[in-house]
Amino acid sequence: MSVLNFIIESILTQAAITIGLIAFIGLLLQRKQFGEVMSGSFKTMLGFMVLSAGSAIIVDSLTYFGEIFTEAFGMQGIVPSIEAINGQAMNNLGLGNQIALTFLAIFIFNIIIARITKWKYIFLTGQAILWMATMTIIFGSAAGFSGITLILFGGLIGGIFAVAMPAIAQPIVRKITGSDDIALGHFCTIGYLFGAGVAKLIGKGSKSIEDIKFPKGLSFLSDTYLSVAFVMVPLYVITAAFAGAEFASQLSGDVNFIVHAFLQAVQFVVGVYVLLSGVRLLLAEIVPAFRGIALKIVPNAKPALDCPVLFPYAPNAVTAGFVTTTIGTVIAMFILPLFGLAMILPGMLTNFFAGGTAGIFMNAVGGRRGVLIGGIAHGIFITLLPALLVPYFNDLGFINATATDVDTVSAGLLIKWFVEPIINIFN
Amino acid sequence: MAFFKRKKKKAAPQKEEKVINKEEILTKIEQTKQGLEKADAEDKISYLNQIGSLYLEIEDYDQAITYYETSISEKQEMGKAFADLTKLYNFKRKEASEQNDKEKVQYYLAKSDELMKLTKDTMRGNM
Repeated sequence: MSVLNFIIESILTQAAITIGLIAFIGLLLQRKQFGEVMSGSFKTMLGFMVLSAGSAIIVDSLTYFGEIFTEAFGMQGIVPSIEAINGQAMNNLGLGNQIALTFLAIFIFNIIIARITKWKYIFLTGQAILWMATMTIIFGSAAGFSGITLILFGGLIGGIFAVAMPAIAQPIVRKITGSDDIALGHFCTIGYLFGAGVAKLIGKGSKSIEDIKFPKGLSFLSDTYLSVAFVMVPLYVITAAFAGAEFASQLSGDVNFIVHAFLQAVQFVVGVYVLLSGVRLLLAEIVPAFRGIALKIVPNAKPALDCPVLFPYAPNAVTAGFVTTTIGTVIAMFILPLFGLAMILPGMLTNFFAGGTAGIFMNAVGGRRGVLIGGIAHGIFITLLPALLVPYFNDLGFINATATDVDTVSAGLLIKWFVEPIINIFN
Repeated sequence: MAFFKRKKKKAAPQKEEKVINKEEILTKIEQTKQGLEKADAEDKISYLNQIGSLYLEIEDYDQAITYYETSISEKQEMGKAFADLTKLYNFKRKEASEQNDKEKVQYYLAKSDELMKLTKDTMRGNM
């Protein structure tokens, strides 16, 4: 009995081990050789540890940024980063174990829903499922769920999103791709449809943006980390300058406060780099194992793939959507504080992927006028929703960050606004 | 109900049309292949994509994949080659699922992953 207790209380509560075990089961189910099962499980565990290390780097940098921003502008400056939220939830809040199991539960609920309903979508973007698991667990646990109920709850909500989001996007995806074979599996879909809705209203009769020749000049953003640095470095340096030498020097020790701000911004980029390397390592074994199983159980599945699946259909719209969405996020950055909300800084990664994909949606229904106006509206929308989450994240102890990917944000808000009050009634 | 009936009526003649065209398309493929042999570097991609597209039309997925893959390995140009390859990998994955060939399922899923990554990088590189 004491051995069993030791296993349950001391080993299975460790997220890294749970994740390793999930990979272990997945690889066993695939009937991999013993060596592959062991190395795959170990690599997955390693992935979690790398992710944690990345998260610690990000938290250090964000703590610094939070202090200088408040000093400089007298308000909170929030960095939108689902990676930072995931890292903090897994480590600082100790929810790693639940998030890992919910990740698996979302896969299972997705398979069940696709198997028994007419919506045959199997969500194949592993990273997005991890973010969804993070959000359903953060807000599910805040609502009062715990133990197996929390995991089942998170899995169910995530599973519903994993089928519903590709399903609601499919009419426009069909229009873009000209076929019904492939779906979109990216948890920014509510934003795409919002942008498309605005584009449809405004862009009636407008010509496709694909007819325009675009000047090239944004290729410096071709590197993920360079594009993060592109925003973070000026942001940190300018904020430190506004905070002033006296205050910022208290945090920089012997180093010049501006140089220190620069290095802290680079540190943030390093954190994202390490964290995402961890995520890749973490998912490299789990995802192939479980999606193989999913596609076996649902043979007529429609695979919901990551957003680049649509890029070849309208590359100009991707660039235009990225630019107009970024304009929208900058406008929202200044407008939202006027309404008492936190200042949300533009997140270049989201702007590129979500903005670019939204550009394709908006172009499909509203042409170039649709992309221009719809894109700005989309940028404001994807900044507003995360801003609404900030007070809740602050209450839960998150440091200076909010989630991105509006579907995961919506899942969080849905739980906070509708599920939590119901739970409170019963309690 | 009327909606479904109308759809069925439309679907039937399309299939017939495809069968009739197969010979024509094969001839067209041969002609395009001849063009490909003489083509310079710039035109080569266009020929490769045309052949890939024609093979896709007659549902010869393996050949279509070969030509499209050659096209994107020589020049990464956002467009039909990338779009059709995603569909083709999915067709092949579906076939493998139906044949219960687990290794092939993983093979085409991995191909699809690689293509997504290449699409991302190409798109950003072209901006």
